[in-house]
Amino acid sequence: MERIQLRDLMSGLQSDHERGESPGRRLCRACVELIGVSGAGIMIMDDEGNGTSLGVSDDVSGAIEDLQFTFGEGPGIDAHTLGRPVLGPRLDDLDQAQWPTFAPAAVRAGVLAAFSFPLRVGAIRLGALDLYHGRPGDLGATQVADGIAMADLVTQAVITVQEGAGAGDLADEMDNPGDLRTEVHQASGMVSGQLDVSIDAALVRLRAYAYSEGRSINEVARDVVTRQLRFE
Amino acid sequence: MTQREALLARAFVDVADTLVADFDVVDFLTVLTTRCVELFELSESALLLVDPPRGLQVAASSSHEMHVLELFEIQHDDGPSVDCYRNGEPVQCDDLRAAVTRWPRFARKALASGWRSAHALPMHLRSELIGALTLLRADPVPLPTTDLVAAQALADVATIGLLQHRAAEEHRLLAEQLQYALHSRVAVEQAKGALAEHTGLDMDSAFSALRRYARNHNLGLVDVAHAVAERQTSLSEIVR
Repeated sequence: MERIQLRDLMSGLQSDHERGESPGRRLCRACVELIGVSGAGIMIMDDEGNGTSLGVSDDVSGAIEDLQFTFGEGPGIDAHTLGRPVLGPRLDDLDQAQWPTFAPAAVRAGVLAAFSFPLRVGAIRLGALDLYHGRPGDLGATQVADGIAMADLVTQAVITVQEGAGAGDLADEMDNPGDLRTEVHQASGMVSGQLDVSIDAALVRLRAYAYSEGRSINEVARDVVTRQLRFE
Repeated sequence: MTQREALLARAFVDVADTLVADFDVVDFLTVLTTRCVELFELSESALLLVDPPRGLQVAASSSHEMHVLELFEIQHDDGPSVDCYRNGEPVQCDDLRAAVTRWPRFARKALASGWRSAHALPMHLRSELIGALTLLRADPVPLPTTDLVAAQALADVATIGLLQHRAAEEHRLLAEQLQYALHSRVAVEQAKGALAEHTGLDMDSAFSALRRYARNHNLGLVDVAHAVAERQTSLSEIVR
C-alpha cells in the first residue's frame, strides 16, 4: 500500500484523461495490481439509488458491474446500502442465497468471488469499490485491509477530482458516456413515452427485458435508442 | 489519578471527539472554555477564532461578561488575545495594573470587572494560525508552568479537531455536489430520450431543443430536464 500515493494517482488520472482514457480505469487497475484480484469496478450511487460506473479495470469487470446494475442486486449495492465491506468468496456455491440472480450470472461470466468496500465521506455513502476474482476463496486479512484502504483512497481521489468542477457540474475527468450509462438513461426516457409510465418504471422494464433475454442492459438500451426495439 | 488529572483527561477526550456525526462547533468550544476555568482555577476563559472575511470572532466564552469583554477587545484591537493572534506567540500579563499603557482600553475594563492577570495562547497547527485561547484570573499571579503547558496542549488538540472538522465538512459538501452532478446528468439523458421518443428527433437534436427551451425561458437546463423527466413540463411545450 505504501507504494502508491494519492498524488501519483491524481497525476495519473490527469494524463489518462488527456489520452482520452477513463480515470476510474486507472484507479481500478491500481486496485487489481495492489490487492491481487482479477478485476475491479467503482460504482457511485446517487441519493435515489441509481448507480453510475466510474470505471472498471477490464471488460469482464464491466460486464459484472452491469449485472449488478441490471438486477439491482450484488455485493457493491449491499456494501453501499449497509455501509460496510461485503464479502462473497463463493459465488458458485449454489446454496448461497445472498444474490440469487446476480451470482449465477457472474459465475457464467467467469467471476467466482466478489468483494465490495463502501465509499464513504462521513455519513454520506457514495457507492462502492468492487473487487472480482476468477477463483473462489476468501481474501486474506491484508487484502481486506488493503481493500478498505483503497476504498478510502478512491473516495479521496473522486472528491479531489470533483473539487475542480463548477457547482452543479460533473468534473470532466468523470464525464465518460459509457461509464455514465447515458444510453440506458436515454432508453428509459424513450420507453417511458412508449409505455406511458414513469421513467423509474421504464428502467425496471428495461432491466426485466434484459434479464429475460439474457442480454446486457447496455445492448438492450442501444437497440431502443437506435429504434430497433420498442416496448408496447 | 487525582481528581484534577481525571478532569484533564476528560477534557482531552471531549476535545478529541470532533469527528462524530452530530458534532457542534459552538457547543464543543463552550465546553472547552468551561473546562479551562475548572481545571486551571480561572475566573474566565474565551476562545477567539478567525473567520477570514470578517477577521477575529468570539467563538465561545465562559460567561456573558467575558464575551462582552472579548468583543470590546476585538473592536478596539487592544488586548492580550489580539496581540497573541497577531504575533502567533503566547502572551502573559501577571498584573493588568501594570498594563494600562500596553492595553489602555482592555486593561481598564478587565480591572473594573475584578480580573487581575491574563494569558493568551495561540491556536495553530504548523503554519496555520486559527485563533487564540484567553485565560483570565482574579489574582495577580501567573499560572504555574505545568498549567500553561496543559492549557496549550488543550488549545493544540482543539485546533487539530477544528481543522479536521473543517476538512470533513468540505469533503461532505463535495460528495453532495458529486451526487447532485451525477443525478443531473442522468436527468438530462432521460429527458433527451423522452423528447426523442415524442418527436422522432435524434438525441443531439433533442438535446438542442431542451437547451433552446431552457434559454428562451430563462431556466437551467437541469431544471428543465427534471421537469421533463418527472412529466411536469409537457413534451409538446418543449418543441413548440
